[in-house]
Amino acid sequence: MNIDEIFDNTSFTIDREAHIVLDYDVCTGCDNRGCVNSCPARCYSWSEDEQKMTFVHDGCLECGTCYVVCHRNAFTRWRYPRGGFGVAYRMT
Amino acid sequence: MSKSYQAIVVGAGPAGSSAALTMARAGLDVALVERGSFPGEKNMFGGVLHRMPSLEKIFPDFWERAPLERHIVKKGVTFMTGESCFSTTIEAGNYDRPPYNGYTIFRPSFDRWLADEAVAAGATLITRATVDDVVRKDGRISGVSIVGRSGQLHAPVVVAADGVLSFTAQKAGLRKATFDPAQMAVGVKALIDMPREMIDDRFGLVRDQGFANEFVGCTEGVRGGGFLYTNYDSLSVGLVFHLASLRTSGKTPYDLLNAFLEQPQMAKMVCGGRLQEYSAHLIPEGGYDMIPELVGDGILVTGDAAAFCNATGLNLEGINLASHSGVVAGEAVIAAHRAGDFSRYGLSSYKKMLEESFVIKDLKLFRNAPHMLHNNRIYQEYPEMMCSFMENIYKIEGAPKQSVTRQFLKSAKEKVGLGKLLADGFSAWRSL
Repeated sequence: MNIDEIFDNTSFTIDREAHIVLDYDVCTGCDNRGCVNSCPARCYSWSEDEQKMTFVHDGCLECGTCYVVCHRNAFTRWRYPRGGFGVAYRMT
Repeated sequence: MSKSYQAIVVGAGPAGSSAALTMARAGLDVALVERGSFPGEKNMFGGVLHRMPSLEKIFPDFWERAPLERHIVKKGVTFMTGESCFSTTIEAGNYDRPPYNGYTIFRPSFDRWLADEAVAAGATLITRATVDDVVRKDGRISGVSIVGRSGQLHAPVVVAADGVLSFTAQKAGLRKATFDPAQMAVGVKALIDMPREMIDDRFGLVRDQGFANEFVGCTEGVRGGGFLYTNYDSLSVGLVFHLASLRTSGKTPYDLLNAFLEQPQMAKMVCGGRLQEYSAHLIPEGGYDMIPELVGDGILVTGDAAAFCNATGLNLEGINLASHSGVVAGEAVIAAHRAGDFSRYGLSSYKKMLEESFVIKDLKLFRNAPHMLHNNRIYQEYPEMMCSFMENIYKIEGAPKQSVTRQFLKSAKEKVGLGKLLADGFSAWRSL
């Protein structure tokens, strides 16, 4: 099965306003960054060259893995999307 | 605009809808608040809906009423390595006769149905409403506020049924501010479309029969396991990982899922299917030691929000515990309304009823299972040992044979080590 395809099969109603907001300075100083590999939706990516974390909330499955895995509490906001927005499962 | 109710339930999953249903049937004016555009939109689970004692009491025809998929007649465990697997299955005549032992279901259908039953009983369902805080009056919880809406909802009691991360319980000061990754797991799942006849033929099923299988050894050493469940015309296939282990592994859930689906024996089972949906959800796997404060002044905590999930490694239960805790919470609120006391004392019958039920009793009984399951050898060395032992047993190549005991000890020595085998066996026996 093609991994890139996996993400295209889930439906979302994307909110322009992000429900998760990071303080990237905390990520830069982090010694673990378990969020990058643990997030099932690949929302987090770390650039070794730029020493910079990038986060995209678009494909977030709202599972909470990052919330639990981040031991530095890098979130200035972590809540679920506004009502009606975010992931919409049909038959799981 | 603010509105007042006799009770507010946060979250229309199995716990919340069961609570709302119970209260509405007793004539209480209940608000059931859900962040999805319909109940079940945000929910996924691995697997199997087991017997639902509390809902079966409310609906004697529960099993005809609820939207179910196949009933499970065959349950299996597979020990898997990169290219081998050793499986055991139990298929029982009793599993094929009512009352059935378990069903596969789709959460977006099941959760929606249960919430609709609560609405039919008189509850007010408010969808597209994300609760972001509790409202306090005179030191006790008296309502909730909703993201992006100016008004608040008021009630003398709030039932927190908002799932594993329960921000409602956190804001009320009932759960700790942070979670321990060692007590949490994440499940990822691929829903794979497959014609009904193909599923029947491939897994040896007829009529509405279903098959449920768990896998160990399919996570490249990350603590966790896999599952495969048959729906009418689709398969639910996925993996579950302990977060403390996944976090330090450097491996990603989707690559591991891909590798699982491509493992030679697994690939044959999903071959011909088409990927429909990918989903992920957290599971509170800390057991009894993870349970937060269940009762506060004007608030009760139920379901996943209360960590009511029993993951012993053999069975995985959650919805049945959630639903039962919801019904019991509803009953406690009804009693509190009669007495006019919504303090933690007035609501304390909730905790007492739970302690007398299978919910707390089972969690207590398997209290040590989460620790036992933190043994990394279960997820790689033991599956390798089982597969190599079975492979050698059936190997006939013209050389003189060894006794079965010798062969077992050889595999055990090679893959695990005898001392560790003894210690692990003892630890498993103690926790199960």
